[in-house]
Amino acid sequence: MAVTTPEALRTQTAAVLDKVGFLRRFLRARIWHGAEWYITVLGGAILVTVAGVTVLAPVLAPHDPNEFIGAQFTVPGGGRQALLARNGEVPIAGDADLAGVVIGVQRNRNGANLAKRLGAEGVRFEDQQALVGGLKAGEVDLILIDESVGQELAAADSQLELVATGLGLRFVLGTDNLGRDITSRLIWGARTVLGVALSSALLASSFGIPLGLLSGFVAGRLDKVLSLTMDSIYSFPGFLLAIAMATMLGPGVINVAIAISVIYIPTFFRVVRGQVLSIKEQLYVEAARSLGARATDILIRYIFPNVIPSVVVVFSLNIADAILTEAGLSFIGLGLPPDVPDWGYDLSKGHQFLIAGYWWMITFPGVLISLVAAGFSLLGEGLSEMLNPRLSET
Amino acid sequence: MSSRLWRYILLRFILTIPMLLILVSLVFFVLRVLPGDPALAILREGASEEQLASFRAAVGLDRPLPVQYVDLVTSLMRFDFGTSMTRRIPVVDEIKTFFPATVELTLFSMLVTGSVGVLGGAFAAQHRKSPADYGIRVASIILYSLPIFWLGLMFQMVFGAQLGWLPVSGRLSPGMTPTETITGLYTLDAILRKDWALLGDALRHLVLPSLTLGLVLAGIFTRLTRANMLDVLEQDFITAGRARGLRERVLVYRHGLRNAFIPIATLLGLQFALLLAGAILTETTFSWSGMGRLIVDRIYDRDFTTIQGSILFFALLVASASLVVDVVYGFLDPRIRY
Repeated sequence: MAVTTPEALRTQTAAVLDKVGFLRRFLRARIWHGAEWYITVLGGAILVTVAGVTVLAPVLAPHDPNEFIGAQFTVPGGGRQALLARNGEVPIAGDADLAGVVIGVQRNRNGANLAKRLGAEGVRFEDQQALVGGLKAGEVDLILIDESVGQELAAADSQLELVATGLGLRFVLGTDNLGRDITSRLIWGARTVLGVALSSALLASSFGIPLGLLSGFVAGRLDKVLSLTMDSIYSFPGFLLAIAMATMLGPGVINVAIAISVIYIPTFFRVVRGQVLSIKEQLYVEAARSLGARATDILIRYIFPNVIPSVVVVFSLNIADAILTEAGLSFIGLGLPPDVPDWGYDLSKGHQFLIAGYWWMITFPGVLISLVAAGFSLLGEGLSEMLNPRLSET
Repeated sequence: MSSRLWRYILLRFILTIPMLLILVSLVFFVLRVLPGDPALAILREGASEEQLASFRAAVGLDRPLPVQYVDLVTSLMRFDFGTSMTRRIPVVDEIKTFFPATVELTLFSMLVTGSVGVLGGAFAAQHRKSPADYGIRVASIILYSLPIFWLGLMFQMVFGAQLGWLPVSGRLSPGMTPTETITGLYTLDAILRKDWALLGDALRHLVLPSLTLGLVLAGIFTRLTRANMLDVLEQDFITAGRARGLRERVLVYRHGLRNAFIPIATLLGLQFALLLAGAILTETTFSWSGMGRLIVDRIYDRDFTTIQGSILFFALLVASASLVVDVVYGFLDPRIRY
């Protein structure tokens, strides 16, 4: 590499690029950009996956995110039931009809839900000991019990016999305090989170970019006033501003998006204005002006296209931040209406039950928020280094 | 002490005034002009028209908006942040009760942010483009992508609920609450009173919240330090030092870091706004009775004046912090003048 002149390298590469398709060209770019390429691709891959999940939510989600479908606090992977009987006294054959058979279930557990769904009238017992005791004493013919517990019991106790396993629903990531399926809530929640973050970034950019263009291009008094205003808002803790907005506007997807977008208008404004200030001094702009181009043409056709790369970077970084802000608002109870599945809201619920040890309620939503926010950050960082290598070094 | 320095300080001070006015107007606009009726929010649906009217008259919401605005600005000049709508006590008293806890939390968090950020950033800059550099950079991106409250929840779960090493909520254990406070910072109070049991308890309660807040901000701070260190390390005096055979570690950590320190300290000052925003969520997570708790609790009560007062107090705080940082910077670096 060291002896190859840049010219030779460029001709070689151009020749190679002509032969290969888009995908190969894309993969080849990693040689040019090094680590930044990997960072960008990693971020992009995370986002494409999440976007896919968002689009396919109705197909992917096993259950309705708002339905109280299981028992409260089912552990991840739990929910499946085993049917136990007294040894040698199995009242049914295989998966025969359960009608007319007296089934014992444990109160507030998945077995109780399942019995209800099967239409069998279950006899409720307070705890596991009472349930097994009830079976042995002949109060009931069969009991429904968590699969793993049932298998252990059958293996350890010769009085009990395993009739069937794998009954009922399985909750991969467990259920929450109301028995809702966490997997489904997370999948549908992706829609909410991405929707709010994207629309707030779009809103912020649709105010910030035009104002920044105008302020940088027109200069003078307008620029001074706008800059001071934007700098003031920028210096203020944005989360507090979002709190104030969200308090006033009340819960709602649109309202939260508006509340969040206010924070990011100054970010777009500052970046665009700074870029315009340096671009408008460039020779080609001067050339256009001397050829008699109109001011609006110069702004829109000569300056704006050169601002786009920075805007893309800011956009990506802002979405990352907006996701965290949205989650924060939900966490303190200012987010969306309760019937909209949302990761931040699920975390605030998990917070209430943290000491009880239901780790799955707080772990999974948090991992997803971090993952998606990191995805947008990585994409933004990588793009920023690839598009303006000099900007990111300082 | 040159007259140019004083001119700079004066100008910087004067510039703070329109900035504060803009923020006050913004907060006023959001809380008073935007749709949403505080009276209805507090008295709930079903309140009669007379009840609403008398409530509005009692808290001054029935006056024309310009009058309310002028009143707000003039009372702020007297450091009057209004009267709580629900508790009927001055918001200033509320702030006095809750603010010391936030100060204590933010100070200890800054300690975490500063040490982790400076060391991480300097190390990454020293080993630029090495796997360690990329590792630190990716780690810092991940750190600031963590929802601050979630990191807190994870700490609570692991070190509190599972291992039982550290307390997960509050500022002191039950029964330890001091009868009177001197500064309101429990650690400082304990030292002043030589109450070592109290100091230990306060510190144990501080560990998880300040780690939570400090680590998330350390992600941003590492990046800033790295960028600044890279600037410094490219300068001639570093090359000169290297030519004279100074060891790399001495170059980076003694000569380099010392010269990067002024911009880094300034950046730490500018992180103040982020620190306060993060404190709100950290306090909610750890039931830490500071300003964040105050604001969040009053949101549930729909106590608009307390929310407004607290937010304006933060605005004042941020504006003063950036003023102080700029003035100190002006003293330290003679090149900075208007």
